[in-house]
Amino acid sequence: MTVNSLDPRVNRLPAIGVPGQIVPKAPLDQFGTFEVFVQPKEGKSFQHEGIVHAPNLEMAYVLAKEAFTRRFLCTSLYVTDTRNVYISPLTEGNTDAYDLIPEVPSQPGEKVSFEIYHLVKRGKQHTHAGTVLASTPQEAMHLARTAIKKDKTVYNVWAIRTSEIRFTTPEDSDLWLTLAEKKFRDASDYKGGDKLKEFLERAK
Amino acid sequence: MNALAIKELLYKIADDQLIIGHRNSEWTGFGPLLEEDIAFSSMAQDKVGQSQALYTILHSMGEQDPDTIAFTRNAAQFHNCIFVELPNGEYDFSLIRHFLYDTAVAFRFEMLSASSFQPLAELSNKIRGELKYHTLHANTWVKQLGSATEESIARLQQSLVYAMPYALGMFEPSAFEQELIADGVFEGEAALREQWIKRIEAIIAQTSLRLPDLRTITAIQGGRVGKHSEHLQPLLDEMSEVFRIDPTAEW
Repeated sequence: MTVNSLDPRVNRLPAIGVPGQIVPKAPLDQFGTFEVFVQPKEGKSFQHEGIVHAPNLEMAYVLAKEAFTRRFLCTSLYVTDTRNVYISPLTEGNTDAYDLIPEVPSQPGEKVSFEIYHLVKRGKQHTHAGTVLASTPQEAMHLARTAIKKDKTVYNVWAIRTSEIRFTTPEDSDLWLTLAEKKFRDASDYKGGDKLKEFLERAK
Repeated sequence: MNALAIKELLYKIADDQLIIGHRNSEWTGFGPLLEEDIAFSSMAQDKVGQSQALYTILHSMGEQDPDTIAFTRNAAQFHNCIFVELPNGEYDFSLIRHFLYDTAVAFRFEMLSASSFQPLAELSNKIRGELKYHTLHANTWVKQLGSATEESIARLQQSLVYAMPYALGMFEPSAFEQELIADGVFEGEAALREQWIKRIEAIIAQTSLRLPDLRTITAIQGGRVGKHSEHLQPLLDEMSEVFRIDPTAEW
């Protein structure tokens, strides 16, 4: 099969497969997902930015750095395996998620630290709300209801064991050192609209 | 300070960054997974940006403007090592090159951050964060794939053996080594090479890969004096196509 593209890189690609015969991909051949949290500014809460696919936690951290913190101001980043995020029941209307979390009697076993996240505006991101000590994620959510101060309805709650998170170490924080001078990477800096207008004027 | 020696140093670093930046950008849209495509393309952009900063310093020393330097020279006028102009091949080679090359670049700029030539020292400090990410990215992948499956280990090993003579060509000595060292501009290629070997040995030791015996390898040199492989000119033709059609084009 010959490819004729304006992009020379496409024309150089090796031929794969037989034309007209699509070989289906094996199911579940993708890496698992990891949740990415970003701190936009010193002193601000971490917020959920999105997900990355990666083979492990460390690779997820590395890939998340470029996928989510290249253009905008950022001071820190962390990631965790999606399977380690415990979520509260989903709510409708003005129902507070905490009203749907069952009461959990104090659990036996060692107490560990859990990070708690709140969704307070629908369509926005979950934001870090505080930390509680508990034995299970269910207990952590139950305790968070009274332990974490809130002044808005919480539509959804997440709990993540602190030990399951790959945090930015002091050594990593250099990674964002150059961000202040990255305006050229911002699409608006290319003034695309102005250029298009100029072109249309010339074409008249 | 010897301006000629400094210019030669700036040209070789800038040309390395421009050519590897362009080569790596050829992966844009073809990366092995979306996240890696984004990361690799971003690093390629960083490298082109760093070459522009170096060409700007050269311009302030009386050389032509950065676009003219980047887009109008022919292969024999480029000072990059042959290593960076080699075609991408498969991703295993690109990753190994990324690892070997960026380890050297990070040390080079770390040394230059103490340079007596102020503009270069300042630039080195400014791009520290970018370089740190590039080595973090490279080291993490090499450690991951260098101990993952039989296939990933075999592929990286094969690329490592193929790449090594070219990688050693990165340290081709300049005619001005002694002046640069004496003036405190740059500690020299031999010192850089020594640091580089220690670091790649340390990373490779954490994998199932084996570093070829460097004493038995002859470095493939010539790039620093304009003697290139057949791969550079086609790259330059493609890179400068838009500029040659319309030198005033903005994008």
